[in-house]
Amino acid sequence: MKAFRHRTVFLAAGLLAAVVPPLEAPAALDMALGAQKVVQNQPVSACNQAARTALTSVFGGAQEIGSGNTGEWQAYNAGDTANGVTQSAAVHCYPVGDGYVVTFTCAAQVPPSTDSAAALCSKISAAFDGKTSAMLPLTTSAGGR
Amino acid sequence: MGKHRLFVAALLLGTLCCGAIALASVDLSAGIRYVSPSGTLADCSAKAKAAIEAYLPGATEAEAGSGEWMATAQNPATGAPSAAAAVRCYPLPKGYVATFLCSVQLPLNPYGASALCLDVAHKFYGGALTPLASMPSPTPVPSGCATTNLVGNWTSDDNPKLTFKMGLDGDVTDSDGVSGNWNIDGNKVTLTYYGNHTMTLSPDGKHLRGGGYSLTRQC
Repeated sequence: MKAFRHRTVFLAAGLLAAVVPPLEAPAALDMALGAQKVVQNQPVSACNQAARTALTSVFGGAQEIGSGNTGEWQAYNAGDTANGVTQSAAVHCYPVGDGYVVTFTCAAQVPPSTDSAAALCSKISAAFDGKTSAMLPLTTSAGGR
Repeated sequence: MGKHRLFVAALLLGTLCCGAIALASVDLSAGIRYVSPSGTLADCSAKAKAAIEAYLPGATEAEAGSGEWMATAQNPATGAPSAAAAVRCYPLPKGYVATFLCSVQLPLNPYGASALCLDVAHKFYGGALTPLASMPSPTPVPSGCATTNLVGNWTSDDNPKLTFKMGLDGDVTDSDGVSGNWNIDGNKVTLTYYGNHTMTLSPDGKHLRGGGYSLTRQC
């Protein structure tokens, strides 16, 4: 009986050890300067709308920083019980001439984020382009890092 | 009694493992923008580089002449980056616009993203500078035959070809690359390696015996 109990205890502890995740390398902060794009003949309000839509498509929501039309948008992913926020991004719109300049900046904690900050920015930038292409093509663009 | 100790050891192991990766969070600051009515992109770039490097080492430009600058700082406690700051300059018909973006990993980083960005921005265009807390010092790796940990290199007394490297984080790897974990409570050790083994550390911290193993530390 005693041997049976010990076997059960060993089994339970072994099972627990098996399901406990292994010690992982420390999560590293990854920040990326995404694309900078200039759009002609579009009001900055179009940038704001596209920024909000792009961030919402990736994160499920977005908020404009500050009060009024600042053109500075930010979003976070939802944390869970095991991790806090692991991805965050900002989109900045600023009027230039008869158009605007927009920049994408992202940060991620890798791991557990499977997307690097650069990959995250590419997603948001693509979502932004998808939104603005319905209005007018981008005239110039520059890659970030 | 033995059953109780086994469960406590298993739970401690679980706490150790999960605690090491829990609840680190990304903090991003993106709300500071500065518009200069005069100056060129090159002026903005020079100020951006200097402002970032006042707080983080080695600011680099995304592409030469782009006016987009960024730097990251390693956290000595983890050996991974935990802080980053960027200044993005764009030329205007008259002057330029600069946006300030910072991110940190909390609670590992000793200061928040907003505090970092505020200092970088104030360094750029003037304003009160608040000293940032220093990065933590790296955790020293214990040496010798301490009786409070198992860190070091161990050899099996029965098979000298079988060696173990036990790490600071409670990890153990043998000479074949098989990994496991260790935990110590007093002189009682739980070695999780092909199952759990309850062992006893000798008073001089040099010998580990029990659970079918007999090991000697190289110290």
